[in-house]
Order: sequence, then structure tokens, then C-alpha cells
Amino acid sequence: MKENKNPMGNVYVSHRAISTIAHQSAIESYGVVGLAAKNFAEGIAQAIVKDPTMGVDVRYDGHCIEIDLFIIVEYGTRIKMVAESVSNNVRYRVEKTIGIPVEKVNVHIRALRISDTD
Amino acid sequence: MKQEAKTFESVDGHLFKLLIEAGLNWLRTNQQLVNSLNVFPVPDGDTGTNMLLTMQAAFNEIQNSGEKKISKVAHSVAQGALMGARGNSGVILSQLWRGFSRSIDNLDSINMAEFSKALTEAKTTAYKGVVRPVEGTILTVAKDISIASAEVISKKVDLEQFLDYIVKAADISVQNTPELLPILKQAGVVDSGGKGLYFILEGFLKFLRGESLETVTAKLVQPIALMNGGEMEEIEPGQDYEVIVDFRPANPLNLEVFYSELTEMGTSIQVGEGDGMYRMHIHVPTENRYLPIDYTMKLGTITKVYIENLIDQMEQKDANQKQQLSLTPIESGQLAIVAVSPGFGLSQIFASLGATAIVQGGQTMNPSTEEILHSFENLPTDKVIILPNNKNIFLAAKSAKEATVKQVEVLPCKSIPQGLSAMLRYDPSGDINEIFEEMQEAILEVDTGEITVATRSVEINGVNVKEGEAIALFNSELISSSKSIEKACFEILKRVDLDERERLTLFFGSDISNQEVNPIVDHIREKYPQFEIEIHEGGQPHYQFIIAIE
Repeated sequence: MKENKNPMGNVYVSHRAISTIAHQSAIESYGVVGLAAKNFAEGIAQAIVKDPTMGVDVRYDGHCIEIDLFIIVEYGTRIKMVAESVSNNVRYRVEKTIGIPVEKVNVHIRALRISDTD
Repeated sequence: MKQEAKTFESVDGHLFKLLIEAGLNWLRTNQQLVNSLNVFPVPDGDTGTNMLLTMQAAFNEIQNSGEKKISKVAHSVAQGALMGARGNSGVILSQLWRGFSRSIDNLDSINMAEFSKALTEAKTTAYKGVVRPVEGTILTVAKDISIASAEVISKKVDLEQFLDYIVKAADISVQNTPELLPILKQAGVVDSGGKGLYFILEGFLKFLRGESLETVTAKLVQPIALMNGGEMEEIEPGQDYEVIVDFRPANPLNLEVFYSELTEMGTSIQVGEGDGMYRMHIHVPTENRYLPIDYTMKLGTITKVYIENLIDQMEQKDANQKQQLSLTPIESGQLAIVAVSPGFGLSQIFASLGATAIVQGGQTMNPSTEEILHSFENLPTDKVIILPNNKNIFLAAKSAKEATVKQVEVLPCKSIPQGLSAMLRYDPSGDINEIFEEMQEAILEVDTGEITVATRSVEINGVNVKEGEAIALFNSELISSSKSIEKACFEILKRVDLDERERLTLFFGSDISNQEVNPIVDHIREKYPQFEIEIHEGGQPHYQFIIAIE
């Protein structure tokens, strides 16, 4: 749970809410064709219930948020740029919607999807 | 005197190369316009530059090739764009070229139906790169171009009519992007990536019609003025000399032949036309420096020739900058400071406070990781603190930290005043961790005011900004938009906690003169006699004032 100081009281934002925002902005990011399960257990859970936070891990140390993204990238794109842009997108959206600084966005390229061969 | 446009029913590798170069040149001419379409009203180098560098990388792949098969040329373009893709828009652009080239595999030349098919494949490939495409972007424009191309080939059209139709469709599509993407509408702009794509296609069309791809030369300005305006950052191999020739051709000029002859001699070719006069601009290696002149002389009467040694010009520029900055030398094992500074005056101040190295850069010109790395790699110490002095530079500074074996700390200072405040805690023989901690405290002890002129009308944070007004930022937050720079200064001072702060330091930028600065400072003195005020020439571009409030 995260706290956001507010003159009217406190606002609490759950890890899950942040993960959902990160997940949504990741899949809107160019070059990202999907998110991958962080581990085996999540993979199995995902097969049963569609989870809107899959492939996202969020940690909070009391001041800053750190996010890990596990993504699948389109084959034939410049992966470095795709990773930079997904990291920027996610940071921007999370900071803008929640107002807590994001210290790090770690991008893990879990796989490449080949939709066409040249 | 306009060049009679030749009609083409198909496009081969040679023509395609000329089209790509024209698209690149027209995008270059309009680069700043595309850059200005960002969503925040502060000038910020972005999409235009990224797309240009991507197209430049694509063109570099084919620049020296005499390949006649369009499939091979397009394949090289796609390869170059992929390897050189910069930014989000660059990645999408490279995907468009990839789809385009795949569609015309093995063809020697393409007719309009095949051209249309290639544009459709380009769009399809680009859309495959994202799960949930956002409409109102370059993707939408690519889609509308593909639809328009399919419409127009039902009639019998030549290349010019074909391009004319899809360029118009692209224009309409770009104008419509704010309707699809609310953030664009809010900022009062069209999508920058879409606009960039439009310029590339419009460049194709302008080339076919023999129109100028460089608006500046259409007016035939004096070569000297042209030179002073365009600043060169670095010189690529084979660009030792710049040659500009003004001439009046004896017979109507065949632009295609003219371009291809010049391509043999050098690079960065631009041809402008006005009132029957032409201006040709080219960069050539030393041994070719007279060739363009001899060649143009055969075509008609030369009225003016201008040659400049670019290598020498660059060396002079480097030498000037190094001479004037007196950086503090460092002994082995001491702590070094690398400061990023947007203007010469600010660089001098950082240097006088003991900075070991200065990297040029700021809001509109972010330095690369290499530039930052290069600044400290050769220092005789392995302890370095980097002061990025701008949020946009954190990432490059952090990458530099990861790319070196030295112990590097990146101070999260978001503004020049924060950087200067941190600089005051510097002690060359101090412990890096202790100093870094003290610096982190120091950046909290200063407030930052920044004043710039809005490049367009927009509403942000409930502040209604009109183009051309002075906008004030207090600790990076937009707080007001005012009719004058002076009013903007007072808006910032209203936010200052007068019990806590007692000192103002104003750094004025290159866009404001001494005469304008003095009355503003006098008025501040009158209204806030409790402040101790200092003024320095910062020399930063775009920001009329950067204000440190301690």
C-alpha cells in the first residue's frame, strides 16, 4: 500500500493498481507485443484467469516506486529503442496518474515474436 | 522558370534513391517545425530530430550504391532505418520501410499498383508492432495513406498524380489527429510523427515537380548569411569542403540528371530555385572540391561561388571553446565533477566553482551517453560526480555511470540552480560518498525559477498559455503565462517563501539583451528590497531567465 499525503486525508494506492496502470501503458507502447509471466506460478495462474497485472512487478520503499516489466517484443524492431520507449511510457503514466516518483523501470525482454520473415 | 515535370509510370531503384533523398532533405528543412509539435509548450528537441536521424541512417545505406533494382534499394533503406532507428517515431518509421521492402521483394521496378500494395504492407507491418495501437498517431496517418493509395490506382495515374493524391490524404489525416487523440487537442497540436511522415512523402512529390527542398534557398540569400545561420556539429568523412554555386542554366535544367551527376561528387546535396536562378549546395572531399564548379559551368553561367573548408572551421570552433573555459585541473585520486551546462556563461560559472569537466547540453540539446562518458574517461581519477542539471539528462548520465568502471554518482539535480548549489559543497579531496550526500541536501535548499516563451497556445495545470507569451516555471511546474518577461519574473517571486529565502541570482539567456535585463532587475530591487540580488550572463538558449532562489 502506498500513501499519498493530501490535506483532506490520506490516499492509499495498492501495488495491484499500479501494476494495472503499468501493464496498460506497456501494451500501448510501440514494439511491445505482449507481456510474459514473471515465473512459472504466474504462468499457470494466467492460464486460468486473465490477470490485468501480468508481467509487471512493483516494489515500493516508502519514497519511490521500482517497476519490473517482462515483455515480448516484435522481431525486427530496434529492441534498445523499444525498451527505452516502454520504460518512458510506463514511468510517465504511473507518475502522472499516481503522483509518486518512479525511481526505476527495469525492462526484461522475455521473448521476441516473429510475425513475418523478411 | 519551372522545370517541366517528367512523367513516370514506374519507380526503379535509381529513382527511388532520389525520392528517399528528397524526403530526407524536405524532412530536414522542416525538422524544427516537427520538433515544435511536442505536447509541452517548452521547446524540446524530439520527434523531428529522431525521424530525421532514422531517415539519414536509411539514406546512408544507399548513398553510394548505383543499384537499379528497387527491391534491393528498398531493402537497404529498411535495413538502415532499422539499425539507425531513434526514438519511438523512428522505430515505427523503420517498421514501415520494412513492410514496404518486403512487399516488393525481387522486383526491378514497381508500378503504381505495386507501390500502393507496398504502402499497405508497410501499414500492416507497422500495426503488428503493437498490441493496442493508439490512433491519432503516425500509425493512423500510415493507414490513411494506404487507403488513399488503393483508391487512386483505380484510375490510371502516373507517379506524380499518385503521390499528389496520397500526400493530400496524409495532410487531411494529420489535421484530423487531434480528433482521435485528446492529449493533442488539449495541447493544440497535430501529431508530430504523422507530420514527419507527411513531410517525407511531400518531399518525394516536390522532387518530382522540381520544387525547392530548402525554403531558404528559394529566396537566394547571400552565402555568407546562409553559413552563419547553419551551425555544423560534426563532420562526416568525405565532407571536407562545402561548395555553394549560384548559376543560371543555359537550357532548362534536368534535375534528375543534375542530382545524379552531383551524387558522384559528394553528399548533402541541395538544389534551390528562384527566378531562373539555381543554387546548388554540396559537401565534397578535398580532392573533389573544384568538380561541382567545373560541372555547373558546363550547364550555364555561374554568378557566384562559395567554398568553405569545414574541417578547419570545426577545429577553430573547438579551439575557441577550449581556450575560453579555464577548468580546474585535478590530481590523481581526487574527486572530479562533471557538469552539464546549456550556455557558455553558465559553463564559466561552473568552471569557476571548480568543475573538472563541462558537457554542453540542456533542455533542447540532450548530450549523449558517449559525450558524458568521454568527459571523464580520461581524467586521472576514478571518483566522479555528474551534475545533469536537467531531468531529461538523467538517463544519459546514468548510462554513462553503468558504462564505466569508475565510481560514478549521478546527482538528481533537475535545474542549474540546484547544480550550482551542489557545486558549493564540492571539495576535491573529500570523500565521494560524504560529498554526494551533502550535495543531495544542498539541492533541496534552493528554489528554481525559469522563464521561457511559449512556442504555442496550450492549457496545462489550469494555466492558459498563449503562443508568444512569457511562461514561468517554479521548480519545474508551469505556474503562469504573462504578457511580458518582467511579469513572469514577478509571478515566480510571488511563490517564494520570503521568510526562508534571502538571495536571488538571475542568469539571463542568449535570447535577451542587457538593455532588456536591467530595467527588470531594477523593478525587482524596488519591490523586494529584502533580497540580495546578483545577475550573471548564463548564455543559455530559449530560457530568458534561470533564477536561483536561496
